[in-house]
Amino acid sequence: MSIVEFSNVQKSFGPHKIFNGINLEIMPREVVVVIGPSGSGKSTLLRCINALESIEGGDIRVDGYSVKGGRNDIRNIRLEAGMVFQQFNLFPQMTALENVMFGPMRVRKATRREARELALALLEKVGLSERANHYPAELSGGQQQRVAIARALAIRPKLMLFDEPTSALDPELRQEVLKVMQTLAEEGMTMVIVTHEIEFARKAGTRLLFMEGGKIAHDGKPGELLTNPPSERLRDFLQHVV
Amino acid sequence: MSFDWSAVIAALPQLLQGAELTVFIAAIGLILGISGGMLLGMLRAFGPMPVNALVQVYVAFIRGTPLIVQIMFIYFALPILMHVRIQGVTAGIIAIAINSSAYVAEIVRGSLLSISKGLTEAGLAMGLPFWKVLVFITGPLAFRRLIPPLGNQCITSLKDTSLLLVIGVSELTFTGQEIIADNFRAVEIWSAVAVIYFVMLSAVGLFWQYVERRMPIL
Repeated sequence: MSIVEFSNVQKSFGPHKIFNGINLEIMPREVVVVIGPSGSGKSTLLRCINALESIEGGDIRVDGYSVKGGRNDIRNIRLEAGMVFQQFNLFPQMTALENVMFGPMRVRKATRREARELALALLEKVGLSERANHYPAELSGGQQQRVAIARALAIRPKLMLFDEPTSALDPELRQEVLKVMQTLAEEGMTMVIVTHEIEFARKAGTRLLFMEGGKIAHDGKPGELLTNPPSERLRDFLQHVV
Repeated sequence: MSFDWSAVIAALPQLLQGAELTVFIAAIGLILGISGGMLLGMLRAFGPMPVNALVQVYVAFIRGTPLIVQIMFIYFALPILMHVRIQGVTAGIIAIAINSSAYVAEIVRGSLLSISKGLTEAGLAMGLPFWKVLVFITGPLAFRRLIPPLGNQCITSLKDTSLLLVIGVSELTFTGQEIIADNFRAVEIWSAVAVIYFVMLSAVGLFWQYVERRMPIL
């Protein structure tokens, strides 16, 4: 039984058609890496899953809830899908700890104590225990992104969505974020990751989607697609990224 | 000519009474104006099209007419149109409230829209409804950006109360003028009036400085 299911999804920005009938099924524990040139619809695909972008036709179901099912369904989808953004988007008026406690307290109705315990455990998991009481402005980009991952995990999601999580980071800070993501993948978290990190796709991904012009051009095992690109276009793209 | 301190001392109790009324009108007017302006600003930023347009017309109209005309209208014209008697102080409070609300609405709209959309998305992506994102995340951040222009508005509105002398409200400026009509001590009394305004406005400035130190812009 799939956890995410796109059926014949249609999406436009104004007169500009983005998706014309996307079909996609993601199973639990899959680590789906989405690559493709800019403007190919990768981020939009991801943002449609938790209804940050609306769709015009077809349907997307997440664990049975529909993005077109109204307020309650969308809320349930967002509780099940944690999201990590390119620009981290930590709440600047809150410390790292408060950022992670926020979700449990405001959307999961946890007590302050429960939220605190959970948040401390998650910060330890991402290796930032000693930074708990720092504000985002006092953290490096890599640290901020790890806090953002902890914050997303704190609502106890069933799947995690990553929108170019390392694109805003210096090369030496990327590894610390990728390491946390790889650990998550190894623990069996279902993940959809839009990225340009080809090596990460090879190491941690169980499935690779190559998007082009709003279509899923290739869908297969990362090892196979990356070693023997089945099309000129993918070969070209990989040459430019790596 | 010599500066006659005794004229100032004699006038002081009356001037301070005027200052008290000035503060009263400005404070009530600003509380109403700022709360109203916040609501209007939110409607401007996030409200549906027809409401948004209506607020825009209101703001354009209030900003597009002089405060002194608004004061005259509320005090002299409104009673005729609505068959009510309206007291000078009440008219003053209404004028300050309406006038400041239009400016505050634009300030609030600006600071709300200046908050990164990503923060709203981060809140929404957690499953929060939009209004909770506004209350717990973006609203408090926007408020911090509101502090400097809000301080400006308080200073402007407090000074604007001096225009109420045209409808005979015995605030500080009117009181000063009345005293001079009696004792012809223009230098002493206008100096005293200016100093009292300066002290009050410095206090307002210091208050907002304190607030900003407690809630720095992020």
